[in-house]
Amino acid sequence: MSIKLSAFGAILFIISFTFFYSCTKEGVSANNNAGTGKGGSLTRFTIAGDYLYAVDNHYLYAYSLTNPMKPAKVYTSPLNFDIETIYPFDKYLFLGTRTGLLIYSIDTASAPRLIGQASHARSCDPVVANDSVAFVTLKGNGNCGPAVSGLYVYDIKTIGTPMLQETVELHEPVGLGLQDSVLYVCCGDAGLKVFNVKSPYSPKLITTKKDALYVDVIPYNGILICFARAGILLYDIANPAIPILVKEIAN
Amino acid sequence: MKYILLFMGTMLLSSCWKFNSGYLPPQPQQKVWGSKPVYAAKSAAEKISYTDQKHPNIQPGNIYAFGKFIFQVDVGRGIHVIDNAVPSQADRIGFITVNGCEQISIKGNYLYTNSFADLITLDISNPARVNEVSRVRNAFPELMYNYPLVQPQESGYYNCPQQLDSVVIGWVKDSIFTSCYKN
Repeated sequence: MSIKLSAFGAILFIISFTFFYSCTKEGVSANNNAGTGKGGSLTRFTIAGDYLYAVDNHYLYAYSLTNPMKPAKVYTSPLNFDIETIYPFDKYLFLGTRTGLLIYSIDTASAPRLIGQASHARSCDPVVANDSVAFVTLKGNGNCGPAVSGLYVYDIKTIGTPMLQETVELHEPVGLGLQDSVLYVCCGDAGLKVFNVKSPYSPKLITTKKDALYVDVIPYNGILICFARAGILLYDIANPAIPILVKEIAN
Repeated sequence: MKYILLFMGTMLLSSCWKFNSGYLPPQPQQKVWGSKPVYAAKSAAEKISYTDQKHPNIQPGNIYAFGKFIFQVDVGRGIHVIDNAVPSQADRIGFITVNGCEQISIKGNYLYTNSFADLITLDISNPARVNEVSRVRNAFPELMYNYPLVQPQESGYYNCPQQLDSVVIGWVKDSIFTSCYKN
């Protein structure tokens, strides 16, 4: 996304993240992470339990926060992928890379272990998941091959072998977020798409907010926090299917 | 005889030309309108500070929700603090200067971020007195490449940053001698 300009210029176009949808629990509770907040879907840092997991372009790191004032590196793993994002869910880390999704088990929190992957035949991908379903946004472009830009829905009941169940073509999808059975997908200047995903393998578009250039979202305490190019927008999502704009904070 | 010498001279010259074909002499440097880096000494650039003044968000980046607050990275510059206690009145209330910043995560009283390749731990228990409590140097070497200010934002000519003991903290427009170009 947008936020990097560099020697790794191509990475500009890749966004990946994971996200979870739960049929059995209300909403999304990523972890038993007392004291943590909630990040967007386009992040390279995430905290699960007493560990800070981080990715730069080619490495996965784990830092112990046992002494929260002094993070201590306990793990480094080089990966032959251009990593874009990291997302924690339950005992897993989902890494979005240029070529697909990597799934790590953090059963042993200090030593993440690769247990599965889904590759998208060279595309720029973001990823999503829950204890049974993963939502992924892929942003295809010249640098990343021919994949169709859109929302990809995976069955991850067998976590090691994600199965593609549905694809919804979208223009340049970026960040996404889930509240109950409503999925919010940021599509840049094409707006914020609001999907009903009660039947996760057949997402139904409820509405599109076209008033801003949306990059990422965080559903948090009944408010949808939106990172748009021109500022932050806050929507009341007491009813997740009907976001009501309550505040706009210009850059 | 004169003509023979002239002829030989011409041959010599032409052989020189041939020898040099493909070689372009360095062009004289020209002043053009472009971008010039603004440097800060590394020691100064590492200084973390907090102000309760609102700053405009120049290059909006990652967002993070934590209790009544929203944090938003201003890529390369720092972190905006937004009071979200009453969403309809939410607004930026302060700014944490962290040069080279891109990522953010929080647990308890501590905010973890990066300053270039370093991992920084900030104590945010008193939002008015955010301070650095530890720094792991070169924790994420590749995040250095993502630093957005290694180049100016706009395309065009710019001076390549070359001061090794300094970091670039911004770009200004000026009349510069050409050195680098961004497409």
